[in-house]
Amino acid sequence: MTPNHRCDAIVVGAGPAGVAAAITMAKGGLKVCLIERGRLPGAKNLFGGVLYPHALAEVIPDYAERHPPFERPVTEQGYWLLSPDSVVRIMHKSVHYKTAPTGAYTALRARFDAWFAEQAVQAGVLLITKTTVTEVVRDARGRALGVATDRPEGLVQAPILVIAEGVNNLLTQSLGLAKGDLPPRYVALSVKEVLALPAAEIEARFGLAGADEGVAIDIFGDATLGLPGTAFIYTDAKAISIGVGLLLEELIVHNLKPYEILARFKAHPVVRPYLAGATVLEYGAHLIPEQGYDRMPDLVGDGVLIAGDAAAMVDAVHREGSNLAMTAGRMAGETALEAHRRGDFSAAFLRAYRTKLEESFVLKDLKQYRRMTDFLDSTPHVIGTYVDFMNEAALRYFTAQGMPKREMEGEILGLLRGRRSFFGIAHDMMKLLRGLRG
Amino acid sequence: MTKRQRQPEPLDPKLKESLPQVNLDALIGAVRYEVDEDFAHLWIKDHEVCQGCPAKPCLAFCPAGVYHLDRAGQVMVSYQACLECGSCRVGCPFHNIGWALPRGGYGVAYKLG
Repeated sequence: MTPNHRCDAIVVGAGPAGVAAAITMAKGGLKVCLIERGRLPGAKNLFGGVLYPHALAEVIPDYAERHPPFERPVTEQGYWLLSPDSVVRIMHKSVHYKTAPTGAYTALRARFDAWFAEQAVQAGVLLITKTTVTEVVRDARGRALGVATDRPEGLVQAPILVIAEGVNNLLTQSLGLAKGDLPPRYVALSVKEVLALPAAEIEARFGLAGADEGVAIDIFGDATLGLPGTAFIYTDAKAISIGVGLLLEELIVHNLKPYEILARFKAHPVVRPYLAGATVLEYGAHLIPEQGYDRMPDLVGDGVLIAGDAAAMVDAVHREGSNLAMTAGRMAGETALEAHRRGDFSAAFLRAYRTKLEESFVLKDLKQYRRMTDFLDSTPHVIGTYVDFMNEAALRYFTAQGMPKREMEGEILGLLRGRRSFFGIAHDMMKLLRGLRG
Repeated sequence: MTKRQRQPEPLDPKLKESLPQVNLDALIGAVRYEVDEDFAHLWIKDHEVCQGCPAKPCLAFCPAGVYHLDRAGQVMVSYQACLECGSCRVGCPFHNIGWALPRGGYGVAYKLG
């Protein structure tokens, strides 16, 4: 390999994981090349919309003074259990969310990632955009030497490589760290629309006092035709982020068009009033790796660390991902700094990265929920069954019709027994508990 | 890895009928792209394989409607509308879709994301 550029570390991908790694290494004194294929960082990136700044604070302690482009603080969040004609809402609103530091913000990734990468540039990182990494260059013993890109004279050399390439982890696969491509039954396809609406309208419709309040709602049931998946509605500053995500396997098996499921959700009698008059600013789609703890790629190779979606670092239960990615990126960066100090870039030494992750919430949470995707996969109709039951039970509970309450309670029990046998219910609850407890 | 072969329960036909028609072109029109006219980053590896694929799920699950049939019933690829999600690469039952990243700077360019 005759490199055209040399640096101390290469980062592939300027998303949350890659930028966190780049900043950590630059602050530690390394010369870092951050390579991004989009025209700008964030151009290829999309998420539902909730960002947790605890992980950001560990990378940039004074992030708040640097005015990150957050949309709204999340001051109310929870679940909607949607049946075809009704909803049971389980929402939590609290003034505690308003006391700094706020726990969560809605955000739009093209804006946020561009800002985050700008902080990396200010820390001394060399950001190279519009450049696709085509290959990890390795020596005869398989140790990573650098990367080839689609730029003329685009060979870049470094003793250590952080791969934060995102869910389509082709480089990770090419290194043999991921066993095969993503399985459709463990990957969710999400489609999303960002709908323009004046701030005052958003605040009136969602009961928000002002720009310092926001809502994050995750929706189960009819939103995904009762199939395994979720929908979401998040309030941005002057827009609403709305989307649905289903396991790709379900879309394939049932021959479904994801944008039709989203359109159906938007037209739901409960949802439609929130969206009236809103116009589409942008549409997008993204895969979410939900393989879970037991099917994650190997996180290290000789001269290589894998972070973020490329390593399936997604906690689907709590819709967390970007905070796992930032934390993993930071830990990858810290490990790369230690490797430079020791002059040891072997996989054996880099395994310290995995140890750090195991001691943090990243792998602890992933381990705890290791059975969740299997739970949904093996009991695909569980969501629809119980969501519909909850709505019918609520309707009877809240309706006065001259029927003695004891009879009403019996009817509600009958509704449940009509859907699922006693043993079926016990079985579902056991599996759910196991999925949640780990 | 344990592989359960679960037999999928078919969806209630009424649910399928409740899905509205969508003007996908209008949605795609709201997306910014830097189109690379010189490099198609998606391609069908072998059209005969598609002929033997009864379900052709790519025609439905692709969120950008990249895959459609021409008059002769052959699968056409409008790679220009691709959102680069990766579903077709992993979702094609025959792994018959060639999938590469667009060249640097090209392809979808979200303004919001």
